Amino acid sequence: MPKNQVVKFRIQRYNPDLDDEPKFVTYKVPYTDRQGVLDALHYIFRNLDSSLAYRWNCRTGQCGSCAININGVPGLACRTVVDPNNNYVLEPLPKFPIIRDLVVDLGPGFRRIEKLRPYLERTSAPGRPEILTREEISSAMELRACIECFSCYAACPAVESAKQEFPGPIAMRELASFEFDPRDQGDRVQMAVSSGVYDCTSCGICKEVCIPKHIDTRRKAVEGLRALAVERELGPLEGHEGFISQIEDTGYAVDVKTPPLTDLLSEVIEVDNPIDEVLFFPGCLINLRIQQVGLNVVEVLKRNNVRVHIPKDFVCCCSVAFRTGARTVAHDMVLRNTKSFAERGVKKVIGLCPGCMSTIKQDWPIVLHEKNKPPYDFEPFDITEYLVREVGLEQINQKDLKPLPIRVVYHDPCHLNRHQGISEEPRRLLRMIPGIEFIDVEDSDRCCGAGGGVRAGRRELSEEIAGIKFDILSAAKPDVIATSCSFCFIQLLDAVKKAGSDIKVMNITDLMAASYRGESLK
Amino acid sequence: MMTFEIIETDVLVIGAGGAGCRAAIAASDSNQEITIITKDILGKAHTVMAEGGINAALANLDPDDLCDIHANDTCKAGAYLNNQNLAEILANEAPQRVYDLEYFGAIFSRTPDGLIMQRPFGHQTFRRTCYAGDRSGHEVLATLTEELRRRDINIIDEVFATSLFRDKKRIAGVSVIDIRTGKFQVFRAPAIVMAAGGAGRIYDVTTNAQADVGSGYAMAYKAGVELIDMEQFQFHPTGAAVPPAARGRLVTEGVRGEGGILLNKEGERFMKRYNPRQMELAGRDEVARSLATEIREGRGTENQAVYLDVSFLPAKIIEERLPTMLEDFLDIGIDIRKEPMEVTPTAHHVMGGLRIDSSCGTNLQGLFAAGEVAGGVHGGNRLGGNALAAGQVFGKIAGDSASKYAATAPTPVLNRKIIQEEYSRVMTPLEREEDVIPSKETERLQRTMWEKAGLFRNEQDLNAALKFIKHQQEQIASKLSVRNKTTRYNTEWISALELQDMTLVAEMIVRAALLRKESRGAHYRTDYPNPDNKRWFANIIISQSKGLMALKKTQIIVTKWQPPWVTN
Repeated sequence: MPKNQVVKFRIQRYNPDLDDEPKFVTYKVPYTDRQGVLDALHYIFRNLDSSLAYRWNCRTGQCGSCAININGVPGLACRTVVDPNNNYVLEPLPKFPIIRDLVVDLGPGFRRIEKLRPYLERTSAPGRPEILTREEISSAMELRACIECFSCYAACPAVESAKQEFPGPIAMRELASFEFDPRDQGDRVQMAVSSGVYDCTSCGICKEVCIPKHIDTRRKAVEGLRALAVERELGPLEGHEGFISQIEDTGYAVDVKTPPLTDLLSEVIEVDNPIDEVLFFPGCLINLRIQQVGLNVVEVLKRNNVRVHIPKDFVCCCSVAFRTGARTVAHDMVLRNTKSFAERGVKKVIGLCPGCMSTIKQDWPIVLHEKNKPPYDFEPFDITEYLVREVGLEQINQKDLKPLPIRVVYHDPCHLNRHQGISEEPRRLLRMIPGIEFIDVEDSDRCCGAGGGVRAGRRELSEEIAGIKFDILSAAKPDVIATSCSFCFIQLLDAVKKAGSDIKVMNITDLMAASYRGESLK
Repeated sequence: MMTFEIIETDVLVIGAGGAGCRAAIAASDSNQEITIITKDILGKAHTVMAEGGINAALANLDPDDLCDIHANDTCKAGAYLNNQNLAEILANEAPQRVYDLEYFGAIFSRTPDGLIMQRPFGHQTFRRTCYAGDRSGHEVLATLTEELRRRDINIIDEVFATSLFRDKKRIAGVSVIDIRTGKFQVFRAPAIVMAAGGAGRIYDVTTNAQADVGSGYAMAYKAGVELIDMEQFQFHPTGAAVPPAARGRLVTEGVRGEGGILLNKEGERFMKRYNPRQMELAGRDEVARSLATEIREGRGTENQAVYLDVSFLPAKIIEERLPTMLEDFLDIGIDIRKEPMEVTPTAHHVMGGLRIDSSCGTNLQGLFAAGEVAGGVHGGNRLGGNALAAGQVFGKIAGDSASKYAATAPTPVLNRKIIQEEYSRVMTPLEREEDVIPSKETERLQRTMWEKAGLFRNEQDLNAALKFIKHQQEQIASKLSVRNKTTRYNTEWISALELQDMTLVAEMIVRAALLRKESRGAHYRTDYPNPDNKRWFANIIISQSKGLMALKKTQIIVTKWQPPWVTN
């Protein structure tokens, strides 16, 4: 790297005693080897502007004092290494009152935890010595690593909502740490249900910003508590019960209104000179509600000489059951699906719905293991992952793609981006389609509010989160909001409708199919 | 005329680390009103940084371990400078305090039978250190935080205590600045527990958190309290050299335990010149001095460090046995499976502190002390795992003593004139318009202490340090100016006041180090490299006498263990 490199830090300044509103000031900081954001703040304080207020203490990621928003993402200043080729925007942690500059009052966050009796509730004195096995304590111990930096709280889309009172991932983690502690006798599951365990959209940002502890609050705390809630008949919510009983009755999470996709297509779609063979798992929504999305997936695969199987006897992946805690319903469905897939002997299973695909990738193996069944004998792929990695970006049929002269923004589905780590593939496909002007907006990975059973169970909260996301996406003035998720798709369609906008919402394979067909989308 | 708010409470605890929290909990077992104030936010004190564990002779793994052996190990490590009364209390009560923590909710790592797991730690006869993975201090403080939230205790975050007040021979209160608003306030309390932690920040390179500037020692000194063993400052051999903000961050001894080797910039495994038998596993002070010598004589890296290398070990071993180290270094872009770490000796722990008796009382009636700020427990060197233990043991005692005392003590009288003077003192840096910047002066003090009163000491350097300190106290302190005049969360203002505390603590260390013309414990004089048992088997007591710093020798309290040179 060149000597004397300078990194620019735009920092939000605000003194409520003196200023009408926050303003930004830019500081130029000489880059030094292995510099952290906290080092840069120290440099500014000592050499440029000693009036800058920021909070820090241990400087090694163990106390959680220095959490701020770094380029829009909450994180610890001491644990963020400066990239000399980047510029930085530093803001106080959102959702808290500002004391001054980068220092916030964490009081509102602490108060929400304090209401949950955040201490071990014993009903009898333990024996001496107290025997606790390693197995008994492992879940609770993992959740106790939290350093209360409130990054997860600041990042959580469910906390964002002003009307709702979700106490945040940190509080769910706290409750779970006691629930999973064999010594605790508190009614933690009831507390979790009444304080909003069903407000979590399963977006997973809480784990992403949990540096350096990497606590998987969604899976380990929220879903663990939800499973117990169902077991104790405290959950799921009224809005979920329809889906769960629907799955029990029909095998699908939604009812049949129009002819299912599986009726519109033959079980095997033959192509000339097939390069590959896949089983397409459409999931309930595509099969029963948005069949055109499924037809477009098939069209894209056909145009790329991929032989497609669509099993008529597939049932729900049970994402909704796993996410809301109704695990027992899910077990039967997993066994039926894996049996159906095995009979076809196809080694690659693709799907467009990331809810389905992340469930197949992450939850099914656990069920099979618990049921003493062998692991499934196929490889699951998200459709964009399949196209880019398996067909290969170079090999994709690009010659038949006709220009789509439109402006497009992309919404990252959480179940694709965070739960499967797929964010580049959809973008590569978008950039491949001729004519598209692709605007990659900041906050593209922000939750739309559909997941985790929130759309079904907590509609008002869900719509509020969707509205915030729509505002971010529509600010780029796109013709089309692209995504790659059947659930985000319907959520964003509703948001567009609610806003009275004429922006279109399309999946990436919808755009590709339109391009192959030479449609005009203007 | 300035106005100030007086807040009444029965027991006031200053500091919310392991000792302060434990004191508040103990005191709240009474019917007194308990208030705990912290310069940080509850749960974020330096205690969270302790990784190793907490010593208690539970004998879960080694059935022959006894509290007496723990006490003896403590005194041996302390070069017999310890107050053996306190060492015995530490060892005797540590098991019950560990059980208290478990009762409150702590989860310690377990043996296969479900008992609390114990690991071996340096210079201890048996496996005695209870731990919670590699975040033991965090587990302890998180548990105490939970227990505080359960109880009816006033918890006040982000206030900076500036001075203690006396009512004749007893404590009367303390003045604070509410950091968030800048408001000056006075707490009146018949009983105060000082648990303000250590002073690593007076050195350039330290493992300590930002808060540890030594205000507890300074406030106590100014109020006429006696301090003991202030020359005994422990340096840890391996602190991370980068990134700059984390310079000094502890690199656990486990790295060397797993086979890590120390190399200078020429790639020489230099420990073979200092201790060819034990090499990297020689005693903490010896390894620390060896590193310092290499760096001082120009064989260190660009970052004033040496290399600590484990990259020759199989990656799997590193991943399994040193996961936190691996992750910590990966976060700053160093893969210790492939490249060496850069390490430097680092200021770690003040063994000295407020002189306490077995009830944690000081010579100032109503003022109790516990934790790192209290002296006499560890003598000349502290065992790993004894800091968390001392915090719990003496925190509990101090809390109990304070509430018991407060129950019968009359409300103290505050002297308005003295409070007025204190108000003027704390406000003047805000009002001044001079060119003397607190952060620059703090850095100067830290560098001076590191270079002149650190691992190696001698008459000439110590005198130079003293001269510098006097210069800061007499010429600089009255000119320190805060450029930013807001009172709201003004850390420059707080640091100007902290610097005055730091120079006072530095003076105590330097004067005691000058007086002790020998080498003992962590105190090493190049001009007197050997112990002088005849003249210096004694503690040094510091107190304020007629406005001057007075030092005197005093007899060590020995209960059971005569040092080897006495018995032989």
